[in-house]
Amino acid sequence: MLPTNSALAILWWGAYTVFGIWAHRAVPGIDVFAPALIVSLQEENGQRSAVLAVIWILLIEGTGNLPFGYGLAWYGLLTIAFSAGRWLFEARSYLFMALLGLWLGLLHPVLIYGLSSLANLEVPMRPVLIQGAIQAAAFPVIWFLADHFFPVRLRQDVRPL
Amino acid sequence: MRGLKKIAAIIVACLFVYLSLFTWNLRTGHLDALSSHTGLDIAGVVLKPGIWVAEQVSGFWHRYIYLVGLKQDNDTLRTEAAELRRTNMLMGAQARSAARLESLFGFRPPEKWTFSGARVIGQRMGPAGVLDTMVVDKGKASGVTDDMPVVSLKGLVGRILRSGTTTSTVLLLTDPNSRIAVIGAHNRSPGMLSGQGYGAPLQLRYVNQNADVDPGELLLSSGLSGIYPKGLPVAKVTKIRRSDISLFLTVEAAPLVDMAGLEEILLLNREPEAAVEAGTGDVAERQPESGPEAGKEDASGAADQ
Repeated sequence: MLPTNSALAILWWGAYTVFGIWAHRAVPGIDVFAPALIVSLQEENGQRSAVLAVIWILLIEGTGNLPFGYGLAWYGLLTIAFSAGRWLFEARSYLFMALLGLWLGLLHPVLIYGLSSLANLEVPMRPVLIQGAIQAAAFPVIWFLADHFFPVRLRQDVRPL
Repeated sequence: MRGLKKIAAIIVACLFVYLSLFTWNLRTGHLDALSSHTGLDIAGVVLKPGIWVAEQVSGFWHRYIYLVGLKQDNDTLRTEAAELRRTNMLMGAQARSAARLESLFGFRPPEKWTFSGARVIGQRMGPAGVLDTMVVDKGKASGVTDDMPVVSLKGLVGRILRSGTTTSTVLLLTDPNSRIAVIGAHNRSPGMLSGQGYGAPLQLRYVNQNADVDPGELLLSSGLSGIYPKGLPVAKVTKIRRSDISLFLTVEAAPLVDMAGLEEILLLNREPEAAVEAGTGDVAERQPESGPEAGKEDASGAADQ
């Protein structure tokens, strides 16, 4: 890969991460990094996606207040669902993205309930269910925006040989 | 068939590794510390400049645009200050008299606490932020430790849940996982105050059916848990119900602090014992030691505010 492309990738993902932190502060309970991870999996090599996932896991775990484990399961199960779904769906179809959103919307309350039970914490589930519904609805929209603004030069299919 | 068995084996292995990691972290806290010192601190570094800019802009607005009501505000504040000075004079005499009596009877002097200010830079953050918390701009580098009490000028706010190097998370007293040992300011009936989520009333548990509790009574921290100093104002009783089938009263309370509107908080730090013994015990006679932001407060004196 060209060095300028690496610099552009660092700049783009750095700016997106800063935007994501502010978005997480403004709308608690919703993850804007998950759709971007899908964009990275679609458009970039797996190594960069893995680095991004590690950084975002640390951010989610650090700013969250559950014992460590939510981010790992969240991105792990999202990646598994994406990889499994690609066998059946076209990787960039809107239907597939909507289904991934539904998967995350379902996963959020299940993970929160499971982890809080394991850690013996009391968590009111009603707001968590609402957050799950919002996550399901917001996921395809955020994915569309992230994909739309993703630099063309960084896309694998247009990279020079 | 063989492929399915392989997939099942991989799933079981992943689950085993995940649960082992989770349990190990619950026991040691190493991964929580790692995420606090990386993720939480990075978020703090990203948020602080933006919040600083927003504060400068709003500060400019308040300083230069809202000068109109300054004279009226000044007059009101002067009246309030005079009233507070009078009250303080009377209470100071009472406090000195109590200290003399305590020394006569051989009581151990109360613990001393230092306090320092911190700014709130966020509330709940991210999808894993499910507890009632807020993020403040001070961490271990400023002497913040886990379980440190957090107060505002109106009353108790909560305690430090996790601390990074320059940023920390505060567990608010409105969270269902918060438990604070309290005592009634007037009737001295003890109980355990727990939250039920933001916007819901606090619940005072384990108050005997025959205990005296009045509606509107102030609840103070009893100091029995060892985390909070004795005598901090925590909440006010709003509702009391007697039940025929329970051994305890059902008591509801409202926090004194509006958690959503908090912009600055105070962190309380227990002063080392040697320093307390060397001191005279009179707060007014001692000078602040840790910079202009910090001051000192007698734990029993805080109860009166």
